[in-house]
Amino acid sequence: MLHLILLFFAAIFTHNIALTYILGMCPFLSLSRNINVATGMAAAVTFVVTLTAAINWPIYHLVLVPTHSELIYYIVFIIVIAASVQLLEMVMERFFPSLQSSFGIFLPLITVNCIVLAVSLFMILRNYTFLQTIFFSVGSSLGWMLAIVMVAAINEKLELIGDIPKGYKGTAIVMVIAGIIALSFIGFGGMLKIQ
Amino acid sequence: MKEKILMVVFVIVVGSVLTAGLIVVSAVTNPVIEANNLKVMKLSVLAVLDIPYTESDLDTVFSDNVRAETKDGRTVYISKSGDVAFTVAGSGLWGPVEGVMGLKSDLTTVKKIFIVHQEETPGLGSRIGDDDFLSRFDDKSAVPSLEIVAAGKAATNNQIDGITGATLSGKALEAILNNEIKKYRPLLAEVSGK
Amino acid sequence: MNLKNSEAYKTFINGVWGDHPVFSMVLGICSSLAISNKVENALAMGGGVTFVLIATAVLIAPLRKMIPMRVRMITFMIIIAAFVIIVDKFLKAYVPPISRQLGPYVGLIITNCILMGRAEAFYIQNGTGLSIVDAVANGIGYTYALVIMAAIREVLGFGTFLGFRVMPHWWTNWVIISMAPGAFFLLSVLIWLSRTITKKEPQ
Repeated sequence: MLHLILLFFAAIFTHNIALTYILGMCPFLSLSRNINVATGMAAAVTFVVTLTAAINWPIYHLVLVPTHSELIYYIVFIIVIAASVQLLEMVMERFFPSLQSSFGIFLPLITVNCIVLAVSLFMILRNYTFLQTIFFSVGSSLGWMLAIVMVAAINEKLELIGDIPKGYKGTAIVMVIAGIIALSFIGFGGMLKIQ
Repeated sequence: MKEKILMVVFVIVVGSVLTAGLIVVSAVTNPVIEANNLKVMKLSVLAVLDIPYTESDLDTVFSDNVRAETKDGRTVYISKSGDVAFTVAGSGLWGPVEGVMGLKSDLTTVKKIFIVHQEETPGLGSRIGDDDFLSRFDDKSAVPSLEIVAAGKAATNNQIDGITGATLSGKALEAILNNEIKKYRPLLAEVSGK
Repeated sequence: MNLKNSEAYKTFINGVWGDHPVFSMVLGICSSLAISNKVENALAMGGGVTFVLIATAVLIAPLRKMIPMRVRMITFMIIIAAFVIIVDKFLKAYVPPISRQLGPYVGLIITNCILMGRAEAFYIQNGTGLSIVDAVANGIGYTYALVIMAAIREVLGFGTFLGFRVMPHWWTNWVIISMAPGAFFLLSVLIWLSRTITKKEPQ
């Protein structure tokens, strides 16, 4: 149990998927102007990442491995991710229209978010058990959420009070903010001992 | 509805065609990759046990000087002088780390470590695979366990100076080495008893 | 004949400078930041991405009228993933040294937004010839952006260039520039430079 909790916290702080691995950057840049948008996207990402990892794990270990078809796992994972997102969209449209209006727009973007595939790949690479996968997926997504929300918060304030040079407005300033936060996260470096 | 079925069929067809291509490519390349890997394993075992060889006599030198003992899927390579070597593998920060570790005949002192494969950050974490870092492990004690500390702070005989900027990769390597030593201990004891 | 030339020319210039994948469209960031701290890796990654871009263009553009709109994203991803694996297997088997350099980055290529971005924006709507031109252009654009970043990061962060020592002995390595935060800062400066030079409005 302790190991799972350590894994969870490591995924957020010392092995943050956005600040340590620099994955999931594309949506990072376009969505970190507004905290509400950032939080919404991150919540959707957390759900999709955990759901797809939970589906991909049994597919890999209970279907691909016994039949020696690990070769195609990239393709299978991608199909699962795309299908899950489509399914999710349809379910939300039908049963949760209110959620659909706030989170709905993010869903198509999530399919191409590096993180979703990356988490599934990491779980295979590191040979995680199913429980470890769940803790890792939720942890990583929350880590991504932490990163994007912090950047969005600072960005929002900066746009209100700061005198950002014209060439820096938009993407470049987000990079600077992300860089400073990544710098601070390095300080977590030797904090947790995992695996 | 028909449109949806068409979509699913299309994806399945594309997936199958590409998978077929992949299977063909794999069938052709896998044996070659296997042969490459075997060769790399042999030369890393020889490197770690400090047995000289040349490109052409690699196989003969290996079979003449190294004895392999396998139990429960684990193999230990023993040199004529009683030094042992075994493969170490685990997860680094970015991807799998694989290498070969050599212990002296006392089974607690490190002879040499050789990293065959790692996928860490170039120039930083990847330096855990470099000779100038790995040589810091030579003659160090694996008891109670190998410990990588901040650069310049190594004090006791089981501590090794780490690399600035490679803390996480170093920690991962440390965990892999200690885990594998633990796993191989019973087999090592059994083998050396012979 | 003349018209076709100018169409191809425009496409080429667009990919290499006008709508530059990294500096202007800010795509392919994930990989640019993680591996651009050494020039040799930047070259390997740039080459890999260019190759997969061309392969993707060659596979998608001719079939563009046959791919159902709703599943085009999945189709792109499957094609890209399969091709990257095939390239990886070939390299591992026949040129192990190059494969060892490119090794980890193979996985990163699959997640590189540029591939999906160009497939979606260009190859699905344009002819094969033009798509290949676009692929080559974006590949070149991506490669030189990566090499510029890597050159700065390697020289300042390690004191070397392509492995050769270029900084004088009294130089203290700026380790931070070879790590993630350094990449973020450097990229912001380069984006600013590119915006200032082309006088393009930020999005």
